[in-house]
Amino acid sequence: MQKRFDLPREMVTEADLLQPGILSCQGCGGAIAMKLALMGLGRRTVIVLPACCMSIIAGVWPNTAVGVPVLHVPFASGAVAASGVRAGLDVRGEKDVGVMAWAGDGGTYDIGLQSLSGAAERNENILYVCYDNEAYMNTGVQRSSATPPGAWTTTTPKGAPKTEPKKDLEKIMLAHHIPYLATASIAYPDDLVAKFRKVRGIQGTRFIHLLAPCPPGWQIDPSQSVRISRRAVQSNVFPLYEVEKGRWRINVIPEPRIPVIEYLESQGRFRQMPKAMADDMQADVDRRWEELLVAAGVKKA
Amino acid sequence: MKVVEKRSGQAKPYAIHTWRDFPPLNISRGNMLHNLTGSWRYIKPLYEDKVPACQNACPAGNDIEGWIRLLQQGEIAQAYWHLKREEPFPAVLGRVCFRFCEAACNRAPFDHRLGIRSLERFVGDRPAPAGDIPDLPPLHGKTLAVVGSGPAGMSAAYFARLLGFAVTIFEKEPVMGGLLRLGIPAYRLPRAVVAAEFAALEKMGIALRPETEIGVDIPLEALVRDFDYLFLASGSHASLKLRIEGEAHCRRIMSGLELLRRFAADEPPRLGKRVVVIGGGNTAVDAARTALRLGSEVMVVYRRSASEMPAHAEEVAQAQEEGVRFRFLAAPDRIELADDGSIRQLVCCEMQLGAPDAGGRRRPHRKPGAVFTVAADSILTAIGEAPRFDYLAGIAAAEKEGVPTDDGLRVVLQRCREAAIYAGGDIIDIPRTVVHAVAAGKRAAIAMDCRRRKEDVMRVLADIAIGTGGALSFARYTGRQPVPPVRRNLHKVVTKEQIVYDYFQKTPPVIEEIRAPADRMTSFTEDRRTFTVNQAEAEAQRCLHCGRCTECDNCLIFCPDMSVLKRPDRDFGYQVDFDYCKGCGICFAECPRGAITMVDEDQPIEASTARRETE
Amino acid sequence: MKQVIKGNHAVSHAVKLSRVKVISAYPITPQTTIVEALSEMCASGELDARFIKVESEHSAMAAVVGSASAGVRSFTATSSHGLLLMHEVLHWAAGARLPIVLTNVNRAVGPGWNIWADQTDSLSQRDTGWIQIYAESNQEVLDNVILAYRLAESVLLPVMLTYDAFYLSHTSEIVDIPDDRQVDAFLPEFRPPYRLDIDDPHMFGGMIGPDYYYEERYVMHRDALKVAELYPEICREFSGAFGREYDVLETYRTEDAALIIVAAGTITSVSRIAVDRLRSQAKTVGLMKLRMFRPVPVERWRHALGRAAKIVVIDRNLTAGLGGVFAAEIQAALYPLAKRPQIFPVVAGLGGRDVTPEDVCGMVERALSEEQAAAGPLFWGLKQ
Repeated sequence: MQKRFDLPREMVTEADLLQPGILSCQGCGGAIAMKLALMGLGRRTVIVLPACCMSIIAGVWPNTAVGVPVLHVPFASGAVAASGVRAGLDVRGEKDVGVMAWAGDGGTYDIGLQSLSGAAERNENILYVCYDNEAYMNTGVQRSSATPPGAWTTTTPKGAPKTEPKKDLEKIMLAHHIPYLATASIAYPDDLVAKFRKVRGIQGTRFIHLLAPCPPGWQIDPSQSVRISRRAVQSNVFPLYEVEKGRWRINVIPEPRIPVIEYLESQGRFRQMPKAMADDMQADVDRRWEELLVAAGVKKA
Repeated sequence: MKVVEKRSGQAKPYAIHTWRDFPPLNISRGNMLHNLTGSWRYIKPLYEDKVPACQNACPAGNDIEGWIRLLQQGEIAQAYWHLKREEPFPAVLGRVCFRFCEAACNRAPFDHRLGIRSLERFVGDRPAPAGDIPDLPPLHGKTLAVVGSGPAGMSAAYFARLLGFAVTIFEKEPVMGGLLRLGIPAYRLPRAVVAAEFAALEKMGIALRPETEIGVDIPLEALVRDFDYLFLASGSHASLKLRIEGEAHCRRIMSGLELLRRFAADEPPRLGKRVVVIGGGNTAVDAARTALRLGSEVMVVYRRSASEMPAHAEEVAQAQEEGVRFRFLAAPDRIELADDGSIRQLVCCEMQLGAPDAGGRRRPHRKPGAVFTVAADSILTAIGEAPRFDYLAGIAAAEKEGVPTDDGLRVVLQRCREAAIYAGGDIIDIPRTVVHAVAAGKRAAIAMDCRRRKEDVMRVLADIAIGTGGALSFARYTGRQPVPPVRRNLHKVVTKEQIVYDYFQKTPPVIEEIRAPADRMTSFTEDRRTFTVNQAEAEAQRCLHCGRCTECDNCLIFCPDMSVLKRPDRDFGYQVDFDYCKGCGICFAECPRGAITMVDEDQPIEASTARRETE
Repeated sequence: MKQVIKGNHAVSHAVKLSRVKVISAYPITPQTTIVEALSEMCASGELDARFIKVESEHSAMAAVVGSASAGVRSFTATSSHGLLLMHEVLHWAAGARLPIVLTNVNRAVGPGWNIWADQTDSLSQRDTGWIQIYAESNQEVLDNVILAYRLAESVLLPVMLTYDAFYLSHTSEIVDIPDDRQVDAFLPEFRPPYRLDIDDPHMFGGMIGPDYYYEERYVMHRDALKVAELYPEICREFSGAFGREYDVLETYRTEDAALIIVAAGTITSVSRIAVDRLRSQAKTVGLMKLRMFRPVPVERWRHALGRAAKIVVIDRNLTAGLGGVFAAEIQAALYPLAKRPQIFPVVAGLGGRDVTPEDVCGMVERALSEEQAAAGPLFWGLKQ
């Protein structure tokens, strides 16, 4: 029998918190992510949006495609502007209204990392979501510190792929002792929605890292966004797990597990990746997965 | 549930004429529904039911997915009638079919093919009565004589009756069923099962005339005179000879088919202790296992290797479990006889495989000088059968080599214009399996009806052809839509490349229980047990529903543009909002079963507003 | 109640009296004691506000952008490099029309590090869309905060209040701290016309194209222009309640003045002494104290300065390659007048160097002695 996504029916059929007419590219992983996130969060949510693709996707003045309040803020300030909104809502007595900062990898890994670190260290009562498309896509595909090694971007052009590994943001975030951290994938919508529902009930800084394929930036067919997200999980390139008050839990143990090369080969951006670099990436993915198994208590150190 | 007809109608344009209309700050005033992103699209999704690989492979065009869906819903009676729309004898084929469907099953490369035959048998044996056949049409006055009561004749009779013909089946044997009754041992196909099918046919008003041999009891000319249509399905019973030294004078040699026939007629022959069966087909194995059950030690001698055997691998394995020995790559060379005509020994030569023949199997060659002997009390030959045409003597078109058919399916007599004569089953040149015979009967019934209605048969057959396998859709012919009555493309076959296996869990198959070898080999009662309801439900759940929407909502969940709407009132339960669909194809790529097709934006999609049929 | 307090503490008291709900700030000398005092007030419950102790000024500004967007009264304070780091978000706050109040202790900009008085930091934010008001005394510092919230919330523009490092921030003066009920009457609870509201969801600050951006900015400009009229009205109301009078500018003995000194911040105090001294020498000299610098009260400047023959503008700031910012702006404001005064720009006191009454008298005498103003500014006190 098919594994169906366990999503409450009304969420699927009456979800109108993101309406059509949005300005995303065809097959945008970020748009799917936002739609699913809002399914989980519901109406009592305020979104804080630093510069990212979603700044465009969500609507052009005088219109919005989003059914909850959205506050656009400068690039570097997602987490802290969310902290400010949080404080404001608290003062107003609207403590149950959730505040979500929604930022890309540029706004999270790079320019926004300082204010994110500040907010996390203060344990601000906000949800911070990084929808990670692994480069600066809104500006036309430039490398970020989330860009994986071997990937083509316009600033790691043909013949000179990125050589540095992707920044380990989860470790950075966990070093802040935040109460909740999770990874989520648009290919596992039930898991994703469950996590967004869950975080509503958690106080303090919650961090969710979403992988959001970008068809033009990843050089994939628009129809492949979900499939490649799934391949990322199946290959352990992007494992799904959550860390709640220091307790680790792996949400999806890939079965079958596929080699990293299958994930890489499905995307045009890795066409120039040297074989040795792909092997290194496999080794790195394996090592991190082992670490994860140990952390989650699935395996003894 | 909210059903929105036209969301773009809810666009809230915010009129701005002067700077005085501006709010003091950048605050949204409307929504984005005015932005019809559908204009970006150059390909578009189309919900389209297709032909699952199983149905494509089934010569009879069995709508397997259709009745399995009903089975999953616990609607066993509905499943039964649905199944019988395309394949009339589930209790029979659920036992003896060659399972072309299962071989093609898209589940096979994932974990294990679906047990379609077991499910069909369950449906055929349905735990509760299914009532009378629905929608039996009145007779239109045209009559059909069916010669031979094997599966081809049964099938032609069934479908012809469903098309309003008054049908009579003539059978030369005292029992009805032909090969089903006399050629397949009862431990595989109990007599009661065959009898029940004939009871059902009688209930439909089909007349049965056993012990009536054409050309003996009734002249062929009388049939031609008395009936508007004839269907010849007299089968293929003349066993081929070994054509080796000693065969002609051997008293202890008979065909495997003859053994089966005599046993079924309760006249079992004496075989002796050691029996050698020559051949590798199902008749060989059936004969071997029957001989075993009659108390003999049995060896099957086959000229190729195990993998080339045409017999069911499963039954070969069961025969081996029961103690039948197989000697591969060996062919009989001569029979050395004692003076009384009994067998002294069988001399065989060893074979080796050469280049493949036209059918793709490697051709065996004698290995020079390699000869061995086998002790035998009886020899059973099962190297093939040929049809008999002698009863057709006097009809010009009847030839010794076979029944000539223009377009491969019917005989129109040159001299005898009163009746249209059709032929099917083993008498014509098609694979000799029960399901092919059933398919031939269906094909003939449809062809006869086309003739009756003066329609262009070839055009009709092309219209109702399923997929690439040549099977015909009786439901499409009669204008009755399958369940659900949706936009169904009869020509596109779903292959494994279109299945997203990620959405399925590996699940071990449910296998029919089979009695232990020691128990089996002493008995002619049926060796396998029909699924229980629980088993059937469990196995039915494994169906991938290739090419048939199950409303799993993946398209809806993943659409990045909120352009898939739930529409329970429409075919497929979904509607694409083309005002906004950007044509990314994620719905297509994430449909687990290939029920969505991306088509060129310019291709018109017929508006389908028919309500779902509830049956 | 009168107390002898430092300028920074005047701010803290004013913030408390204004019933600010959210504070976010990052410490920087010489602003730090504001933050310290407010932290104590929040910790003790004396002030019922959330203090978001951020990791940078950029974040401090962004935090109050968030809280003000949620519709609550918000405050931040900074100085010099802190203000410069806020620059991006200053634009954002004004464009988002958020009535935030910021106090900036005017301090020099590096390199090298200099923590002393200089107005280049705030003047380089003049194009951010913020209202800017300069203070001369600790009393003014306190009153300015209360006035600023009334003004900001009336026109939906943020207000930057500045005062000189150490001369005010760390200098104790007698300050009349008003009664909180009086302040409440003058400054009612903030009821924002727009705010983040889940029951009336809107998007704020979204993408806007060439078709509309221009008008949006024009609307902001129009609203800024209203300030010049609105502020004096608010000041009159304040005066009625508290007895202290303020305006967009302040004049001293300018009625018959042939020469008017223009200054902002604490240089106005020494200039006042210089005016008295020069008057005693029968020189008809007056003083115009700049209070509001953005929006520019053009008509008021023209009215106050238009009849003088000469004007000495003292700038404790420098825009390299031009000179002082105040002088340039006053020149621009007076240029359309048919009979234009001669303007003598002076740059003095950069990086906290003292400007004494003698210095101001010297500048005036120099201007009086010259027929024609020089092409560029006079760099007073420059080591030759």
